[in-house]
Amino acid sequence: MLSREDGGASVPGVNRAAEGTRYPEVSFELSPERVAAFREIFGQPHGVPPTLATAAEFAVFPSVIGDPTLALDFTRVIHGGQEYEYVRPLVEGETLSVRARIESIRVRGGNGFLTVAMDLLGADGRIAATARSTLIERTPD
Amino acid sequence: MVLRLKDLSVGDALPSLDRIVIARDVKAYADAGGDQNPLHQDDAFARSAGFDGIVAHGMFTMGHMAACLTRWAGEEATVTRISAQFRSPVYMDDRITAGGRIRKIDREARSVTVELWVTLERDGALEFPIKRGEATIHVPLPG
Repeated sequence: MLSREDGGASVPGVNRAAEGTRYPEVSFELSPERVAAFREIFGQPHGVPPTLATAAEFAVFPSVIGDPTLALDFTRVIHGGQEYEYVRPLVEGETLSVRARIESIRVRGGNGFLTVAMDLLGADGRIAATARSTLIERTPD
Repeated sequence: MVLRLKDLSVGDALPSLDRIVIARDVKAYADAGGDQNPLHQDDAFARSAGFDGIVAHGMFTMGHMAACLTRWAGEEATVTRISAQFRSPVYMDDRITAGGRIRKIDREARSVTVELWVTLERDGALEFPIKRGEATIHVPLPG
């Protein structure tokens, strides 16, 4: 059991000592069905919509959210920001390996700010894209 | 439509893109994107969390922002980076408007950086569900 006396005590939930945690690699298929669903929802006639990488992130988020070491209270978590960097466009039908890590945990104004970074690797083992999600754990009223 | 660098200038506006956010589309998005948080589907849960009703996923709003970008950028250009900050909630039946303008053009690298945003009007005031959105696209050589 990790102590929360060092810094974590000011935020009732998230454990700052969890910064740097890496999660087991998960495989994610960019199936034609999913690509078609995204295109339809957002009215995009061609290509892989640039925010579709979010679905790969959600292949891993359950492990992050349920991580007892991180001690996140997900009922108080909101999505603060999102970034995708593409080394190359994602290809419909390819299978990606998703490697997640807790890039940073900060506390500002009593709220916890958690940045989860995920590298999406192609079959060649090279990074195709990197996703960064900022989650905000709000202080209870 | 094919985007050509020679036709672009810093400050040019992207055509804005409107949509009315409805529960059926948000549910379809939850299924496609994998985020089944009840905040985006269950009115009672959303109210218990302090909101005025079901809230669209930030990623739903960002997906709309990305659609505004890719419709303008066309089939040939590729998105190399896209980011957003989520600032205010989008509720069901809200009309959201995505827009943007060119911030920087690197003609040698053939890259164009645009600022992006998503707005809505509530009670006569302009809100920014997405503020400080940004994206960079790469425009390949013509032909």
